Amino acid sequence: MREETIVAVATPPGEGGIGVIRISGPQAQAIGEKILRHPSGKTITTWPERKVRLGVVISSEEKVIDEVIFFFFRAPRSYTGEDVLEIQGHGGQKNMELILSAAMAAGARPAEPGEFTKRAFLNGRIDLAQAEAVIDLITAQTDLAHRAAQEQLRGRLSDYLHQCEEKLLAVLAQIEAALDFPEDEIPDLDRKEAMGAIAEVAKELAALAAQAEKGRILREAATVVLAGKPNVGKSSLLNRLLGEERAIVTPIPGTTRDFVAEISNLQGLPVRLVDTAGLRETSDPLEQEGVRRTWHWVEKAELILIVLDAAAGLSAEEEQLIREVKEKKRVFIVLNKSDLPPRLTADGVAGRFPGLPVLTVSTVSGEGLEDLEEKIREALVGKDFGREHPVIVTSLRHKDALERAGSYLQDVLAGLRDGLSEDLLSVDLRAALAALGEITGRAVSDEVIAAIFSRFCIGK
Amino acid sequence: MAQVKIYDVIVVGAGHAGCEAAYATAKMGYRTLLLTLNFTNIAFMPCNPSVGGPGKGHLVREVDALGGLIGRVTDLAHLQMRSLNTQKGPAVQALRAQVDKRRYQEIMLGILEREPLIHLRQGEIVDLERVGSEGVSWRLELSTGIILEAPVVILAAGTFFQGTVHIGLVSFPSGPQGQHPSVSLPQKLAAEGIRFRRFKTGTSARLRRRSLNFEAMIEQPGEETPHGFSFWIPWQPRLAASCWLTYTNERTHEIIRKNLHQAPMYCGAITGVGTRYCPAIEGKVVNFPDRPRHQVFIEPESAGTDEVYVAGLSSSLPEAIQEEFIRTVPGLERAEIVRPGYAIEYDVVAAEQLTPFLQLKECPGLFCAGQINGTSGYEEAAAQGIIAGINAGLYLKGETPFLPRRDEAYIGVLLDDLITKELDEPYRVMTSFAEFRLSLRQENADLRLAEYGYKYGLLADAEYERFLAKKERIEEIRATLEKTAFDPESEAGRKITELTGITLKQRISLAELLQKPGVSFQMLQEVYTQLPPGKDEGRVVENQIKYQGYLTREAKMAERLRKMEEKRIPPGFDYNQVPNLSTAAREKLSRVAPLTIGQAARISGVGPADLSALLIWMEARVNR
Repeated sequence: MREETIVAVATPPGEGGIGVIRISGPQAQAIGEKILRHPSGKTITTWPERKVRLGVVISSEEKVIDEVIFFFFRAPRSYTGEDVLEIQGHGGQKNMELILSAAMAAGARPAEPGEFTKRAFLNGRIDLAQAEAVIDLITAQTDLAHRAAQEQLRGRLSDYLHQCEEKLLAVLAQIEAALDFPEDEIPDLDRKEAMGAIAEVAKELAALAAQAEKGRILREAATVVLAGKPNVGKSSLLNRLLGEERAIVTPIPGTTRDFVAEISNLQGLPVRLVDTAGLRETSDPLEQEGVRRTWHWVEKAELILIVLDAAAGLSAEEEQLIREVKEKKRVFIVLNKSDLPPRLTADGVAGRFPGLPVLTVSTVSGEGLEDLEEKIREALVGKDFGREHPVIVTSLRHKDALERAGSYLQDVLAGLRDGLSEDLLSVDLRAALAALGEITGRAVSDEVIAAIFSRFCIGK
Repeated sequence: MAQVKIYDVIVVGAGHAGCEAAYATAKMGYRTLLLTLNFTNIAFMPCNPSVGGPGKGHLVREVDALGGLIGRVTDLAHLQMRSLNTQKGPAVQALRAQVDKRRYQEIMLGILEREPLIHLRQGEIVDLERVGSEGVSWRLELSTGIILEAPVVILAAGTFFQGTVHIGLVSFPSGPQGQHPSVSLPQKLAAEGIRFRRFKTGTSARLRRRSLNFEAMIEQPGEETPHGFSFWIPWQPRLAASCWLTYTNERTHEIIRKNLHQAPMYCGAITGVGTRYCPAIEGKVVNFPDRPRHQVFIEPESAGTDEVYVAGLSSSLPEAIQEEFIRTVPGLERAEIVRPGYAIEYDVVAAEQLTPFLQLKECPGLFCAGQINGTSGYEEAAAQGIIAGINAGLYLKGETPFLPRRDEAYIGVLLDDLITKELDEPYRVMTSFAEFRLSLRQENADLRLAEYGYKYGLLADAEYERFLAKKERIEEIRATLEKTAFDPESEAGRKITELTGITLKQRISLAELLQKPGVSFQMLQEVYTQLPPGKDEGRVVENQIKYQGYLTREAKMAERLRKMEEKRIPPGFDYNQVPNLSTAAREKLSRVAPLTIGQAARISGVGPADLSALLIWMEARVNR
């Protein structure tokens, strides 16, 4: 039988310089063909063994995720004894997760704890002592404090998913009771009602999965770039946003003196604020480098604040900057009021850039700052973040399970609509519950039997 | 000392498990003694006079496909047959028969008596001991002093072990329906180190037919179903008797509620564990207080008797109270009780002592089958009977045990559940337990299992040849459907639109057409008259094609499972040697002692990390 192809991050979690993604199984090369390109963008057609090669990882929407080097090992000459594709990208949780997502979208499934080692061992690639050492490591990690924290998080998510499971179980129990006890008085499945209940759960799961991205922001900080001409008040705004009372966590390594990047606690949300040098075309080599870096940060940012001096008016240069940046990223225009009489009004600017939020602040008096923070937070994680869902999904494995469950539920909904017979509806409904079970640890088969007998009076 | 009578196999108990077991070992060529406490009660049905239903009906078809007896005897003894779940998809469709209990017994007795290698005998075992130093043998002593010996003993004692019957506050040692309990044998087995648990079951009162008013009830006639249970004998549908439906009411429930202090289930007299799916009326009234009424079915026990069964009113209240509440039910106002309902407590073998092929792990040659293993139902008993029989035969031959997989048969599901799930009530098979439900259909049971039946000698050559011919016809039909295609404008194309309402856009094969909802094999026969004939075969092909997508999904899942099942854990494996197992997993694994990694994975509390640790350790130290 052909094994499934599995994928996992091989380097320890955290912000390492390099992160390694390992893909093992018969589909390794096929997945590589889907997610890797030459740096030139060309498809990769040859897969020589054990050669270091340069490439880019692309998402399923063909967007470049990361510049990487990769190796291909052909079975049996690999760690696991199967075809293995190893991708070394820039470390950092988000990057790793994006590459993982791409590999999963291309057909790999997340590996279980110890699965690479298991395969390696079963294929005779490593001996017992080696295998045991690795398994030791895996079990040892289970005892670490940070694992405990994760488990706790998982527990909260499980509790939350419990309600979803209950709703699905109610429908499943109804179906199963009628199938197994046709001569008892089991009411017929009300398909409309079932569709309502399932659609509701599907929505919940989709919302939870969507939150996974926000969960990442919470864990890793979002990047907000301040851009604009020099002397419009970017630095003052930065200082205001950082605030003295706020903890300055760490300066980001690699920033030049032209950049200030600090992590600020913005209404409970970690935000990396980046002050940039400028964006204009210039022939000064030093400034050219600055412009290049600015664009680099713009690429990485979740949100761009373009700061204008209200007293100075809008230059052609600024206008072009706004038009260029808004094509790429979400943009706020921040109108900074000084003591001088204003030449720009919020309404005036908003009129020129329909659709862009314009916010007026005063870095001198602090006026409008709170509103700006609120808007930033809203732009990054939504208005009701932390309120709409008591739990946040941070693990990609969980996100994957939630999405799979959601997709099975869509099949159930279609089946209910099209009059699919109950024994088939049950298959997808069970698959959805099984996917949730990967998170909650509940076994569908036992639960459904209990649900049948607690709901229906069975027995001739 | 008395002369010792030597057999190859001794089957203890001639109920639904025992009869199948004895028949199987005899067919495999072994001299078999079928021992019963009471010769009159061979293949007796102490509870409802019906066989089949979803899951249970599947089991019957499977036992029949293997060459067992329950299917053919039911077909020959049925009073009426119904097809259940006909509107619910092919996987859950099932037959259910009302059976003439007396005829059932006669027919079964006739079959067993005609088997030259079966010796039927009445007797009660008072002693059991392990003899022989090389190959183990079992020596049994009957209460009459007769000594018997065999290398294989199959215990199929039903609910007789330490049976205690409760009717109201009265209780006494008894087997089912006034038969003798078995008291000495379980004690001897306990001395051999076998552990028992206490389970409980029950049945309803029987009434005198002519004391009932059928005008007040709803008639439930049988149907002319297209086939019976058996693949091997010609099907002759009978509409010999109807069942009758009536309902309890608030008055019924009131009487029951008022008398709960006399109900052994509620006043503490019974400690054994009962079932959720076959509750006494007391349980229904207590657990579902909002239900204004419960169904009651009057079912004929036999054409030769006036006695009728009352399904839905199982009770162990005092007989006088039973009579009182029965008489509140429309149509039963003047009912006369022939036998009271009762609850029975009995000893079952704690299942973790069993291998999945039903041998006691610590007792070579000692097999257990049927209700003694904690199951309920004639069908479940028969399924275990044939498995214990075949495996007893294989044990004597020194061959690998026969163990159908979960994706192969409901029998496989049953056996696997029995040992991996820790039963907390008598086990009844349900289609919900089968993760490969769509593959395990009643119509393809022979395709799944007949090969085994022939291989082990339970099916005759003639039967096997018929099976092969059927298989060929199925292939032929399938191939024809796949290669025959029609254009929209052709004669057949227009016929298709006319019959199915589907407007064809392009050339379509009959197989593709059959995948569309609402299109049946029968329609195709009308479109294309040259299709190879075969009603049963057509049904198989229709299901194969219609559910292809889902079946492929199940097949993939089964493939994964099979890989895990191939990794065997040696008997007596010591889980304490394996580092990195969680404490819970270590404890569970040690107790259940699964045969394969697949089984280990199904034990609750054993996680993926445990399995990896186990696999790695095992592969290295054991399998090399």
